[in-house]
Formats: sequence, C-alpha cells, structure tokens
Amino acid sequence: MTPLLEARHLRYAYPDGRQALRDCSLSIAAGSRNVLLGANGAGKTTLLQHFNGLLRPTSGELRLDGQPFDYSRAGLAALRRRVGLVFQNPEAQLLAPTVAADVSFGPLNLGLPPAEVRQRTAFALAAVGLTALAERPVQHLSHGQKKRACIAGVLAMSPDLILLDEPMAGLDAAMQAELIAVLDRLAAEGVSLLVSTHDVDFAYRWADTLYLLEDGCCTAAFAADAWPEQLAVLRAAGQPQPAVLSLYQQLSERGLAAAPRLPRSFDELLAALPRKAAAPCEECSECLEKSGLSAPVPATPT
Amino acid sequence: MLIDSIAAQSRWRRVSPAAKTGFALAGLLAALLADSAPVTFGLALAFALITCYGAGVPARLWLRVACLPLGFLALGVLPLAFSWAPATGWHWAPDAGTRMAEVLGRAAAASTALLLLVLSTPLADLFDLLRRMRCPTVLLDVMHVAYRMLAVLSVSTADMQRAQAARLGHVSTWHSLRSLGLLLACLLCETWRRARDLERAAAARNGADGLRFLSATPAHPWRDASIALVASSALLAVVLGARL
Repeated sequence: MTPLLEARHLRYAYPDGRQALRDCSLSIAAGSRNVLLGANGAGKTTLLQHFNGLLRPTSGELRLDGQPFDYSRAGLAALRRRVGLVFQNPEAQLLAPTVAADVSFGPLNLGLPPAEVRQRTAFALAAVGLTALAERPVQHLSHGQKKRACIAGVLAMSPDLILLDEPMAGLDAAMQAELIAVLDRLAAEGVSLLVSTHDVDFAYRWADTLYLLEDGCCTAAFAADAWPEQLAVLRAAGQPQPAVLSLYQQLSERGLAAAPRLPRSFDELLAALPRKAAAPCEECSECLEKSGLSAPVPATPT
Repeated sequence: MLIDSIAAQSRWRRVSPAAKTGFALAGLLAALLADSAPVTFGLALAFALITCYGAGVPARLWLRVACLPLGFLALGVLPLAFSWAPATGWHWAPDAGTRMAEVLGRAAAASTALLLLVLSTPLADLFDLLRRMRCPTVLLDVMHVAYRMLAVLSVSTADMQRAQAARLGHVSTWHSLRSLGLLLACLLCETWRRARDLERAAAARNGADGLRFLSATPAHPWRDASIALVASSALLAVVLGARL
C-alpha cells in the first residue's frame, strides 16, 4: 500500500553549512498515529518543516501519495492543503487579532467561499473546544488555549496529515490531557498525525509507529509494541524507557504481573494486576503460589 | 494592550463598529463646531459618561487610559498662558484663561469621543471596518502584523525586564541604563526572529500572498446604525443650537 507521505534519504544543510538532516528516510501510513522522538537539536522541527514544504531538501526525495513533492507555487499550495503544520510556539503561528479570524486564515487562503469558511471555522473550533472563545483576542488566551487555537487553524484546512511540533511543550498535566483528547478525536476521525516530542511515556502510550531521530539521522522506525526490542538503539539516542514499561518489567520479574501483551498505559498495567492482593502471611512465596499471581492474570481473584 | 482588553469586555462589543465609528465622528465634528468652552467641556463629560455607563467601561479604567492624552493636552495648552512682545518680553497673556479653556475643551471633547470608539471596539473589528471601507490591503496587512507583534513583543519585553531585575539588572541608574541597552538589542533580534516566524507560519497555511481573515458580523447592524444616526443628529443639533 502506498504510504501517505514518504521521505527517502533526506539531507538538508542550513545556509551556514551545518548539516541538519543526514540520510533520513521514513514513511507515514494514512490514518496512523506517529511519533517522532529525538533529543533537542536532533532535527525534528527541520524534518517537519520539510513535510510541509517550508524547507526543501538539499538531496533526497519527498513523496505524497507516491508522487514527488511539487515545489511550484500551485504545488506547494496543494501540499499545504493536505499536510498541515502546528508550530511549537503558538506565538509564532497565531497571526490574526481574534481566535476565529486566525482559524479562518487557512480556509480563506484555499479560496473557499465565506459560508464554507465560517462552517469550517466553527467545526474546527468545536473540535478543539474553543467555540466559546471564538471572538476573544488571541493575546488573552492561555498557553494551552493558544496551542488548541493553532491546531484549529490547521484543522480548518481539512488536511490528511497534521504535523505537531512538540505540542506538549509548556503545558501542565491538565492541559496535556485536554490536548491528548483532541488528538485522539482527530485520530478517530481518520486524520493522520505525526507528533514530535521528548515525552517517551506519551509516545509509547499513544503512537502506532515511532520514529527515532538522532543527530539528523532517522535511526529507527518501529511499532510501539516493539519498544523492548529497540531498547539498545533508544538508549544510545538518550531516550529513557517509558515508566509503565519499566514498572511492568519489574513486576513481571517478581511474578506480580503477567499480561498477554505489554501494557501501554498505567490503566492497562492495572488491568494486568490481580484485583485483590493475597492475604498477608509470613510465608510469602507460598501465599503467592496459592493466589496464582505468578501465573497469567486470573479473571477473578483467588 | 490595555485598551484592547477593555474593548473586548465592553458592553458595546457586539454593537456594529460602523455605527460606533459614525457616532464618534459625529462627536469629533461636534467638538469642532462647538464655540464655547462650557459646551466643549460638556461634550467631553457626556462622552466620558456614555463610555462608562453606556459602553460599560469601568470609570477607574477609563481614567487610567484617559489620563495620558488628557494630561498631554493639559501640558500642551500651558504655553498659551504666556505671551511675548519685543517691548515687554514674556508676560501673562491677557486672554490666557479663555484661550486655554477653549483649546483644552475642544481637544478633550475630541479625545473622549475617540476614546468611546476605541474602548468599546476591539482593533480586530476596526480592521474589518477598514477592509469594508476599501482600505489598501498592504496597509491592512502591515497593521495586522504590527498589532500581533505589539502583543508578542510586549510579553517578551516584560519577560526580559523581569529576567534582568531578577539578576539585579536594575539595582542602580547605571545598571538600569545598561540593562535597557541590552534589552533593546535583544528586542531588535527578537523582532527579527518573530517576524520571520510569522512569515513562515503564514506560508505554512498558504498565506504568502497576504493576510485574509473572516470578519465578525454584528448582530443588528441596521438597528445600531439607526440609533447612531439619531444620537449623532441630536448631538449636532444641540451643539448647533448652542451656537445660535
């Protein structure tokens, strides 16, 4: 099946000669959740800006639906209609005086009639939960609201793929949860997502496929379930193991948890634990044996 | 940003910007037509009351915004108190009080009329109005970018100032001057970077050819226009009546 977006052996050097990308290849499947992991300066933002046509590779090739990127004026307009980019810093993206005006910016640039622009603006604002703040000046929004306004601005263009550059940066836990809910809704609607992040816990929990970027090189691409098999590469790139995976491994080693598949979240881990702990006694090993905790997780407490 | 913040919370936020602009222009015209200081001061007071009680702007905030232009006007009329002649040199002008009151009253009436407009109408609505009035697109784009940059840079400036103060950057006059120089230098680079970021963000949403945004439509444009027309006519009638 042809991937939605494909990068082949991308190389990019900044005007001052610094190499930002060195031989980077990856492909994004339609309707998938993807995470780009990498340390600061690994080239994540540069790579995302290539996918939106803001940067053009020094060498290598980018394809959308199997067709090479067209860097003509019309080609770029068509590309940016299908691939939207949400910038890391919302202040760098929000242009208009009010939230609704900013969200309408993209659809108007597509040449859509005002009625449809209004409809798309309303839909996008509803999708990110900002309908009530539509007429508010953007400088009066909180950081999290600004991030959501940025997503709405891209969503209103109805792209097939949304690139989000470190969307969790600077958000507190509650705002992160709200943002993840928005991403989940988008993914459920079939929008492909590529999120760059440092947050391995979020990446492991949320993504279908993960890409590792290290010093401008795409060093690994793997399904989230295959995380343990990629430990060496991830550690070499300075990426820690997700907390849930570490905890699960420790519990498994002690015979306290066993699940048919690796838990991706603490909820899944809790489901893999017995509902009721064995009665405490002095002979713990015997007690555990009786409770059957070292065996696969029982459906009901023993 | 204080003015825009007040405007966004004004009771007349949803009133047609065209109607409010029409009424404010009528106020300007009335200030020009008024021929006595009591009438001009009366107009200024009337606009202040309309802004506070009609548009719902808290009096404390109105005073905070108005003190700068009105203070400037008060300072500006002080030279009218003096006169100079080759024989006598500088001396008190004989009609200083009348002239100062006339100029101050007229300028205060005009300023408060415009304050009514800007404290009840966010800049975004005024941009929309200008667009409908066929203001050149390039000019509007510059205004939009300047407005956003003002918001973004005011936050950056405050952050930088706080960071300097946290490291004793303003501990003495000399330190403050040095910190101010550094701040301006940083702000210049920041402005450059932010402008490039905004340009890139516009390009990412196919907006390289100009900035176009959807305008908000007022709920009752005709009703608002009718009320503004009646109020403007009454205002001008009162001022013209006072002249006769």
